[in-house]
Amino acid sequence: MNRLILRILRIFLWFSAITVPVAVMVLVIFIVFKGLPAISLRLIFGDTNPLDALMLKQQVFEGIFPAMVGTFLVVILSVTWAIPLGILSGIYLAEFSGSHLKKFLDFSFDLLASVPSIVIGLFGLTVAIFLHKYLSRQIYPCLLISSISLAVLIVPYIVRTTQLSLDGVSYSTKLAGYSLGASKIQNLFRVVLPSAIHGILGGVILAVGRAAEDTAVIMLTGVVATAGIPGSVFEKFEALPFYIYYISSQYSDKSELLDGFGAAIILLIICGLLFCVAHLLKNVVVKKVYGF
Amino acid sequence: MASEKNTNTDSSGKVVIEGLNVFYRRKCVLEDINLVAQEKNITCIIGPSGCGKSTLLMAINRLLDEIPHARISGEIKVRLEQNGFCNVLKMDDSELPQLRRQIGMVFQHPNILPMSILNNVAFPLKIMGLKGEKAMQKIARALRMVYLWDEVKDRLNSSAIELSGGQKQRLCLARVLVMEPEILLLDEPTSFLDQRLGEKIETLLEHLKKEVTLIVVSHYRDQVKRLADKIYRLG
Repeated sequence: MNRLILRILRIFLWFSAITVPVAVMVLVIFIVFKGLPAISLRLIFGDTNPLDALMLKQQVFEGIFPAMVGTFLVVILSVTWAIPLGILSGIYLAEFSGSHLKKFLDFSFDLLASVPSIVIGLFGLTVAIFLHKYLSRQIYPCLLISSISLAVLIVPYIVRTTQLSLDGVSYSTKLAGYSLGASKIQNLFRVVLPSAIHGILGGVILAVGRAAEDTAVIMLTGVVATAGIPGSVFEKFEALPFYIYYISSQYSDKSELLDGFGAAIILLIICGLLFCVAHLLKNVVVKKVYGF
Repeated sequence: MASEKNTNTDSSGKVVIEGLNVFYRRKCVLEDINLVAQEKNITCIIGPSGCGKSTLLMAINRLLDEIPHARISGEIKVRLEQNGFCNVLKMDDSELPQLRRQIGMVFQHPNILPMSILNNVAFPLKIMGLKGEKAMQKIARALRMVYLWDEVKDRLNSSAIELSGGQKQRLCLARVLVMEPEILLLDEPTSFLDQRLGEKIETLLEHLKKEVTLIVVSHYRDQVKRLADKIYRLG
């Protein structure tokens, strides 16, 4: 009887585990099937010479090149703000905070993680309006506001993964460092953080993906349908998620919709590239930290 | 209370513990412990599992400070070359790293750091700011002392996690020896070793006794009889 239950349980677990990868595969195959015919230099660069576009000699008006660059810039900027803030907060929560403050901060980050991205976008828009009104009339929703709003969105992920990774380092390992004469700071940087580096960088990689795919936040804080490549962080910008949303809701003929699928493939490729770079960096850091 | 085989309880020892109590939260895990470990002697602590032998060792170098909700009261006096005769429980937190370098500890379960074999042994030296050829000589010497050099000399940059249980335990011992401590706290130092290696480590401890004061927790009665200059029973 027990063997039968175990067998049924195993089959149930197997189906549960296989469901998500199969769904992802079906989704990717569907997007590739629909979008592959649309992939061309024309989709990316329009009528502009690709070399001139890449050298930033000529603006691209009809292709998705500015949206690709915009996506890349907003992800890099948002991760730049979020990584130090998230990792330092996670370290504080795991290693330094007292129990009462920890409960309060835990609750705050959980709350922030549960805030819908459209609300964070609205917050970013409010900040932009406030700054425009009271600081400088030159400030509008822009790349900087978008990246900061996205950082607010992804910080809870980085905080949580950092905190959980540090909490996961065994007392045995922590005590090993202390017993060998390490101070609290030395133990943190030479023993605890290296032991948790896999988990922390894993969280950063997930956050990169989250920043690349979000549309609601950037929609209210600086992204537009046509802006070209931004000359500074105070300018409006284009982004692939918004382009896909815009074209799939406003398309006038079938070929425009197919362009949306083509852009989706490009977004997947950019996310894949960011993942690969993050993984490579992770391997380099881990090798440097562990020494083997 | 710790009872002793040898009744010599003069307070001129290297380590003198008087009226030590240890609590985890409200639970008292060690009560009114008194112990004297003479300089360049091997003091063995025996007792049933869970009686607080490891806790007692961790109290001596104040590692218990790093365990949440642990509290210590009483007196633990140690005679150290740099500090003289001092009560470790009254030491400032900033003095603890130095104290722990002088009072080395090997744990019951080998707690390897997630680094290479070389970096594990080099860790305390790096903490002390010692690098280069001098550090390498100390590392090689420590690894030879624990009979590990021949087994790892060709793969020093490999992960220490890949070592066997016995190799890890000897690596932990080498990692402490490299600090050249005055007092060595050993919690079941041969529990992961086969009989042949266990005997070799026992010989090493006998040899170390000439320079270092050892406090050893062991479950092996024969080993305790062979090694101990004084035996305390807990529980």
